Amino acid sequence: MDGDTASLIIQVIWLIMFFLIITGLNQKIQMKIWVTDIRMKLDLIKGILEEDKQKTKVMLRNLGIQSPEPLIDRVIEFFTIEPVEIEPVDIIKRMDHLIRITDTTVRRLIEAEIPHAGKYERSLVETTLSIVGALHVIYKVVRHYLLTGEKENNWILIMQLQLQMPQILKYVNTYHEAFDAFATGKPIGDGIGPLVAYRLIESGRKISSRILDDTSITEVWYKDRRIYVVKAEGPGSNVGHPGAVINRLVDELKGSVDLMITVDAALKLEGEKSGSIAEGVGAAIGDPGPEKIAIERAASKYGIPLRALVIKMDLREAITVMRKEIFEAADSTLKYLERIIEEHTKPNSTIIVAGIGNTMGIPG
Amino acid sequence: MSTDMNTLSNIILVILMVILIVYLYLESRPKKPPREQYVTRVLIQCSSCGYRLEKDFEAGDFIGLDKGKCPKCGGVVKIRGIYAVEKSKILKPQ
Repeated sequence: MDGDTASLIIQVIWLIMFFLIITGLNQKIQMKIWVTDIRMKLDLIKGILEEDKQKTKVMLRNLGIQSPEPLIDRVIEFFTIEPVEIEPVDIIKRMDHLIRITDTTVRRLIEAEIPHAGKYERSLVETTLSIVGALHVIYKVVRHYLLTGEKENNWILIMQLQLQMPQILKYVNTYHEAFDAFATGKPIGDGIGPLVAYRLIESGRKISSRILDDTSITEVWYKDRRIYVVKAEGPGSNVGHPGAVINRLVDELKGSVDLMITVDAALKLEGEKSGSIAEGVGAAIGDPGPEKIAIERAASKYGIPLRALVIKMDLREAITVMRKEIFEAADSTLKYLERIIEEHTKPNSTIIVAGIGNTMGIPG
Repeated sequence: MSTDMNTLSNIILVILMVILIVYLYLESRPKKPPREQYVTRVLIQCSSCGYRLEKDFEAGDFIGLDKGKCPKCGGVVKIRGIYAVEKSKILKPQ
């Protein structure tokens, strides 16, 4: 190849590049590359969704449902419309009402299909279906934005979606991993709060116990103090209604509570150690609002000190089988809890300790 | 002579561009750390003598469940914990 041919090739390359930039064709090529990448990842999500749906069908068939498809389709398409926010009056009451109706309706749908199954099995089916539902929503939303972007030739939408795909896939994989724990009833990282509560019940002298609103209240005598341990009723997959129950308990005790402590899992920041413990003030609970505000209202109504203990973990650790380092943090948290109780209350005080989170695999 | 130099510089330019494109492509590929394999283990403990044993999870297991009698003292053995451990860190029976 002589010098003239080489420079001709280079010139042609530059001309092609110039032509592509001027006409915007380079953008179209780039968009095609992004669309192909999104489509590949969307197929991956669909594969995961179908796999988990199949496992759920097997689970339901084992519980005696001959054709589980209608139940699965009905539950995963179930939705709750958020209450009107522009009018804040009674929003918590309205939200609580809607959340409870959602829970009751889904529970009844499942109960009607598998009436002979126990509460434990039904709770596992309920959460398993909610995981499949979450994956189904992710799949539908990604598909919607991909098709909209293609239809409207909106490369900004496609670009944003392509950039978000790794994070979306991370969430999908986390839910997929969580499926195993929920299908088999293994404790998850989020269950650390109920586990600490259970350890506290084990350590103390049990006086009484009762169940209210899917939530257990166990009265124990521990370190010369009367402690009411509140946690979701286990060992099924259940988060209970700790806020409403604490509110009622405080009213029953006419406000004569010296300290309230909530123990919960908290999402850690990147770089923080999983299973590390931190203390603070306030209600450590991650619900949409009604439970948290009920605890805050009960504490502020009677001027009760409200303390929080959190055990840090990432989202994957929170919703998949409890890691050993988090399990081991339960004993350290109990010691931390004892220290707070001894520092802030005197013997014969009355204390409420709430273990917040999903109590799957943890009784009491 | 000048033509040869011109050709050489063009070839070098093209090679450099190819190297740059390959480098950018390799850099932009997501680097995934090797994912650990986890297995669920059950820690059982005797409530009398404190004897401990780690076993594989069985369907229906939950914390606090009675798992029979202690092989050492005959006391009640219960599940103390259920957790996930990396496959390489499974405790071997002593």
